[in-house]
Amino acid sequence: MFDFDATLPLIAIQFLVLTAIMNVVFYKPLTRVIGEREDYIRSKKNEARERLDKANRLAEQYEQELANTRRQSQGLIADAQAEAQKIATEQVAAAQKEVQGELLQAQQELNQQKQAALGQLEQEVDALSRQILRKLVGATG
Amino acid sequence: MHYSGLLLDMLNGFDPMPLAKLEVGHHLYWRIGDLTIHGQVFLTSWIVIGLLLIASIAATRNAQRVPSGIQNLMEYALEFVRDLTKNQIGEKEYRPWVPFVGTLFLFIFVANWSGALVPWKLIHLPEGELAAPTNDINTTVALALLVSLAYFYAGFKKKGLGYFAKYIQPTPILLPIAILEDFTKPLSLSFRLFGNILADELVVAVLVLLVPLFVPLPVMMLGLFTSAIQALVFATLAAAYIHEALEGHGEEEAH
Amino acid sequence: MDPLVAAASVIAAALAIGLAAIGPGIGQGNASGQAVEGIARQPEAEGKIRGTLLLTLAFMESLTIYGLVIALVLLFANPFA
Repeated sequence: MFDFDATLPLIAIQFLVLTAIMNVVFYKPLTRVIGEREDYIRSKKNEARERLDKANRLAEQYEQELANTRRQSQGLIADAQAEAQKIATEQVAAAQKEVQGELLQAQQELNQQKQAALGQLEQEVDALSRQILRKLVGATG
Repeated sequence: MHYSGLLLDMLNGFDPMPLAKLEVGHHLYWRIGDLTIHGQVFLTSWIVIGLLLIASIAATRNAQRVPSGIQNLMEYALEFVRDLTKNQIGEKEYRPWVPFVGTLFLFIFVANWSGALVPWKLIHLPEGELAAPTNDINTTVALALLVSLAYFYAGFKKKGLGYFAKYIQPTPILLPIAILEDFTKPLSLSFRLFGNILADELVVAVLVLLVPLFVPLPVMMLGLFTSAIQALVFATLAAAYIHEALEGHGEEEAH
Repeated sequence: MDPLVAAASVIAAALAIGLAAIGPGIGQGNASGQAVEGIARQPEAEGKIRGTLLLTLAFMESLTIYGLVIALVLLFANPFA
């Protein structure tokens, strides 16, 4: 059972040769493959993180732009409303003024006509009263 | 040195069953010049090495970014041994030791499981029988001595001759114990692995001898479990010894 | 083989494995009990505790294995045979 012979050194040499061969055909290539895979995964992860950052930034930017635009459009609406309001008030005021002017004019005209009619009436009264007087004086005189 | 064993003679004496025979200490001897080697150890270790190499080449031949099939399995194995080494040696210096510790783990693991899963007994050899390579004391001692060399190498490479300072670090009184440690480390490493694997196979063999069907199955499952744990223990201890040599006794830090 | 050596070897083997099983048995019981207590206290640490427990159990187990190796040496590779 404990018979040592040339098996011992030969097995040792065989094992060392096996280690050397395994180093070439197993450890080195597989370590390289695993390292490459880790690098690949790391770079992909970084890339993905960058892309996510970029997407987040873009989304934020778009959101901001959207908010800006919304604010702008609200401002526009408010402006337009204010302008419309102003125009409406102006027009109403103008119309009122015009109406009042016309009213005034009509009253003035009416007054003038009244004056004219009164003046005419007075003349006619004068003429009538002179006729009456002449008739009366003529009859007696 | 060829003992046919006391229990062996007894058991084989009254057991006519050819199903299981307890054979310890029988080897298939090959002769190369003046040297004798245990043929069955080399046969099975070549199969184990072939399995490992085929799996590695199949995994890396067409390595994809998204792994599948065998590549997935081998990547899991690689990450497992890398984590094991990192946990023991530390983040800073573990890298050059991953192949050594990892190959230790993978070789012992596949060897142990091949002994438990492959029905070697069906293949008849002229002498001895096929079993896990770690079933032979030569293999485990070879691996344990390699671990010793590795941690000496690690210490020398890091600190030069200053590595010897750790022998007299707290006090020179402990010098004999520190030297003794260098001998007990490979001894316990090799005996632990050898004993566990041999014990597994013997227990299974004895149970098969007694009840050939079904009853040995739970013990076989336990054997699979122990084999895996022993491979893990061997690799963990190897990495821990290397770490100790790298750190020295003075600056013990938690890992 | 001398029958006296054979008998002594068998007894020694039995004693080796039997005695070597006592200490690790107690130690493993202690370790498992503590581990269960730890899991009961902190169920979320179960995986870590289990890993460490298995490793330490293997270390304790190896003490018995040393006894077993001695027993196997006595039975199969007896130096006094």
